[in-house]
Amino acid sequence: MQRRGPGLAAFERQTQSLASYAQLSSSITKSQVAHLHSQLSHFRTQLSHFAVTHRQQILKDPAFRHQFQRMCADIGVDPLAGPRRGGWWSEVLGVVGDWQYELGVQIVDICVSTRERNGGMVEMGELVRLLTKLRGGGEDVTEEDVVRSIKTLKPLGAGYEVVQVGGTKMVRSVVKELDVDGAVVLGLAQETDIGGRVTEDLLVKRRGWEYARARAALENLLLRDGLCWVDEQDEDDRSFWLPSALTWEE
Amino acid sequence: MSLQTHRAASGFLLPSIHSLPPFFTLQPNPSTQAIQTQHWTRLILSYARHRRLFFLRVEDCEVAGSEWDEIFRNDRINRRLHPSHLLSLMESMVSQNMAVYEPPKQARAVILHWRLPEEWAEVLHEWVTSTGQLNTIMTFFEITSPPVESPLSGVPITVLRRALTVLGKTGRGQVIDGMEGGGVRFFPGTGKS
Repeated sequence: MQRRGPGLAAFERQTQSLASYAQLSSSITKSQVAHLHSQLSHFRTQLSHFAVTHRQQILKDPAFRHQFQRMCADIGVDPLAGPRRGGWWSEVLGVVGDWQYELGVQIVDICVSTRERNGGMVEMGELVRLLTKLRGGGEDVTEEDVVRSIKTLKPLGAGYEVVQVGGTKMVRSVVKELDVDGAVVLGLAQETDIGGRVTEDLLVKRRGWEYARARAALENLLLRDGLCWVDEQDEDDRSFWLPSALTWEE
Repeated sequence: MSLQTHRAASGFLLPSIHSLPPFFTLQPNPSTQAIQTQHWTRLILSYARHRRLFFLRVEDCEVAGSEWDEIFRNDRINRRLHPSHLLSLMESMVSQNMAVYEPPKQARAVILHWRLPEEWAEVLHEWVTSTGQLNTIMTFFEITSPPVESPLSGVPITVLRRALTVLGKTGRGQVIDGMEGGGVRFFPGTGKS
């Protein structure tokens, strides 16, 4: 073939080179991808083996469970997400997902049965104590476990939420917004020397409120919200008791 | 603060809510009051069962020294149940058939049904059977005041009559007319028709 001029031939050569380069780069990518696949496959086997071998420990030991969940989070795996039906993720991590779900059911159980006396707000420590008791006291349930489980309850739309009142974490199980003043009263009730019993005087002295404001806040908690009980035989003053700030021996 | 249960002198275990001072104040919030009433009702009936008390009168909380002091007063927290509150509790129990005004047409005294008539019927029939008194005629007095204490000792006649009505329905007891003080004859049977 007669050598063509620089234009077309050069163009042809370039096209060929480009094609060669393209082939080379896709083969690099292919091999990298294949390597990644095999790594993941190996990892998948390892994780599966790990979860199965350590299933009991994951279920029983909160520190271990915490580490396992951290590991999952680090590699971008959410033990609670993913398809529940079939798939190896649900099989491997269903272990943890189920456990979380079961705990969620127990939390609902306790919140519903104590709602009568505390109006739908239970202090975190008290909830953990009751959960441990409900589960037979064998395993440890931590606050972190509870917080995680409550996240799974969100889709229920029942208003389960962890809220901060004063310096304490509380679990709210009713879709009722605690107004700001009510929250202050609840916070005061939880102070150690207050022990759940609040009076108008105490609100005035400890929070600098006007008497009218104190009276209104307490009346609202009592009559509107059903979150406290009134004691009219109190020697000093009409007092208001907040069951959510108390612990009860059963 | 922690609320505790408390073992009374009679051996009865008082629930933690009994240590909560406002438990002795009639709550104005309707939902809270409903819960409170439920707790008081349960407490009254289980205490009555524990002590085998059948009668409850408003006076039982008005002055100290009644059979009910252990529950209507809490000296550890210096609280007591007020008569108006007890009247309202009694009304609630009557409306739920857990008590009956006795005598009728007044609202200050009741007989407590800490056992349903059906339960009393079974207990009665079982006792009659196990003491070999089936097919014999018995007076009401012999049932409520037997020489050897029985599960029916001290049972008020109105309660006994209700139990007998239940037994009558399944042919296990027939009240005999004309007997002074009341009489009945019991027959074998299981009560299942």
